[in-house]
Amino acid sequence: MEYLASAGMLIGIYIILAASYNLIIGYGGLNTIAHPIFFALGAYTAALLGIGTTLPSVVCVLAGIGVAVVASVALAVTTLRIEGDYLLIASLGFQLGLLQLVNNFEFTGGPAGLSNIPVTITGPGRGWLYLLICAVLAVVVVWLIWRAMAGPFGRAVRAMRDDELACAALGRSLFTMKIVIFAFGCGAAGLAGGLYAYYFQYISPEQFNVAQSATILTMVVLGGIGTTWGPLVGAFVLVALPQAITFMQLPTSLVGPLQGIIFTVLVILFLFLRPYGLVGKREAGVAH
Amino acid sequence: MTVSIGRRAALSLPLAAFAVSGGRARAQQKEPFRFGALMPTTGPEAGYGLDFVKTYEMAVKDINDQGGVNGHPLEMLVLDTQAKPEIAINAANKLIDVDKVPLIITAWSSVVKAAAPIGNRTKTLELNMGANSPDIAHLGDYVYTVFPLAEVDVTALAKYTYGKLGKKRAAVLYINNDTGIGGAKIYRDVFTAAGGEVVAFEGYDPKATDFTGVLLKARVGNPDVVHIHGLSELPQVIAQMRQLGMQQQITSYSAGYNPKLLSQLGPAAEGLIVTSLAPTSDSNPNVAKLLELWKQVGRFPNGLPYLQYAWDSTVVVAQIYGWVDKNGLPMTGENCRKALLAIREFDLPMTGKLVIRDDHRIDKPVYLYVVKGNKFVLLDTVA
Repeated sequence: MEYLASAGMLIGIYIILAASYNLIIGYGGLNTIAHPIFFALGAYTAALLGIGTTLPSVVCVLAGIGVAVVASVALAVTTLRIEGDYLLIASLGFQLGLLQLVNNFEFTGGPAGLSNIPVTITGPGRGWLYLLICAVLAVVVVWLIWRAMAGPFGRAVRAMRDDELACAALGRSLFTMKIVIFAFGCGAAGLAGGLYAYYFQYISPEQFNVAQSATILTMVVLGGIGTTWGPLVGAFVLVALPQAITFMQLPTSLVGPLQGIIFTVLVILFLFLRPYGLVGKREAGVAH
Repeated sequence: MTVSIGRRAALSLPLAAFAVSGGRARAQQKEPFRFGALMPTTGPEAGYGLDFVKTYEMAVKDINDQGGVNGHPLEMLVLDTQAKPEIAINAANKLIDVDKVPLIITAWSSVVKAAAPIGNRTKTLELNMGANSPDIAHLGDYVYTVFPLAEVDVTALAKYTYGKLGKKRAAVLYINNDTGIGGAKIYRDVFTAAGGEVVAFEGYDPKATDFTGVLLKARVGNPDVVHIHGLSELPQVIAQMRQLGMQQQITSYSAGYNPKLLSQLGPAAEGLIVTSLAPTSDSNPNVAKLLELWKQVGRFPNGLPYLQYAWDSTVVVAQIYGWVDKNGLPMTGENCRKALLAIREFDLPMTGKLVIRDDHRIDKPVYLYVVKGNKFVLLDTVA
């Protein structure tokens, strides 16, 4: 069913986003909330190339990843020497500033967005084929993060998160490590953007605003920050739960408010009963 | 081909008495014809969205009380979009794929656009009943509008301002979103083509609360008229404009035709000219019936002209389903589209004649209102 494939695509895309954001904030301890802008850069680059050129969609998506990586390095070089609240505010400024540009440029479609993104796969199996591609890519992203975090590099990243001074005293270049995890995480967000643009065929600036930051952050925290499986579980719960509520046979006037209430109550309950996330453990938690 | 069952079937009360007895029984025996509606029932736009849904429910009940569609009850499935495209995408997929509806009613430009690729891909007819972005005309074979797009009323207003009101210099202020930019550009182009001069063309942030900057820029150009293409912030822009001592004629589009605006602005609203795309109860008694139904709800609805289109879009759905059923065709999106184009002219109870054009646009008379004595008074009608 196309609907299940579509919901699965959304779960897959959010798994990539949440896992890559978890790498930055959960493992690396870098307080940034600009992740959706890299999602947007990937989506807009892929969409604009898809609309304006005859390049294959794979190339367009790869270009989206490239633009997201370049932008992330630009942000990292200028802001990663600061930390904590200052980094948070700098990343917010970067997110809002770039989004304003997207909102005001003619070639990005302005607030109206881009709605003529070409169809790349046709036929009844389109949804499932996309889901397969998305699932494979999500597995690859999660596996790469898991592999990296399970080895010496991952231990160094966690050491940096827990005590920068001690980590630097061991001879590690904190700045290089920060740039690497930032570039990888944001590149993965760019990949998610490319997939989103080609599958859903419509993008607009409001899909990448600060509310999106809150959504991805909630997925990471709810699932278990600083864990491998946490972002996967968080993404699944936060995408699937509202969908499940629509299947309850409720009157129209009740569906909307109840959806909000049930969802909020469940999230609060999860956070109370599992403060370290659904799959997180106390020792896996982050100091901040 | 003209099908006129809408006005008669939907609203003639004497016939309803007959239909309720015989028709309802028949309607309950046959399988229901279902359609989907993507509306914001939560979030900031829920005020309008819930009133749209309520009006659909009234219209569906009215149609079913009179025997439904060829004896089949009409059934509506509503899913919340919060007026957000990302939520609308999954809701559209559910309506089409799980609930198997062949037709979806939508509103809000970004929602219409987000659902369009799904409608085109799955050959499900999508009818816009409330969004006015000019882009909607280019969204594909399965996306049509029963609501006039921005060029209809904004073009009429710009021409009227220059030609009839004799205003030669216009300042155009707009909210920096899809609705604002699209409408403001049309106003600028039409006013300029008519011979006028646009002395300021300034956008403001949708979340702005202080409009002094853009208003002062407009004042520098010494305009005869200030056209404001905004949304819910419109009263604040007008109030601040008057506070700055700018006494120029102000015009706006259908978002300004709102009784709430008059209560918020008081005397500052005097002279404001706005558009409406639907007749009032003075000229169309069917509108009085809708208002009567809303009285039973216990309050005056939000955006009455839009609700008139909500009612009429339900009648359009019933007529489309009626045509498909009468011709013995399977109830698919493809056949619904075929029916829409075959019927083409609809005689609708709340907003009058609707003609579906090949360019996916429609025309409607534009009602120009001026605020006099804190009331909207009909200034002119531009056909």
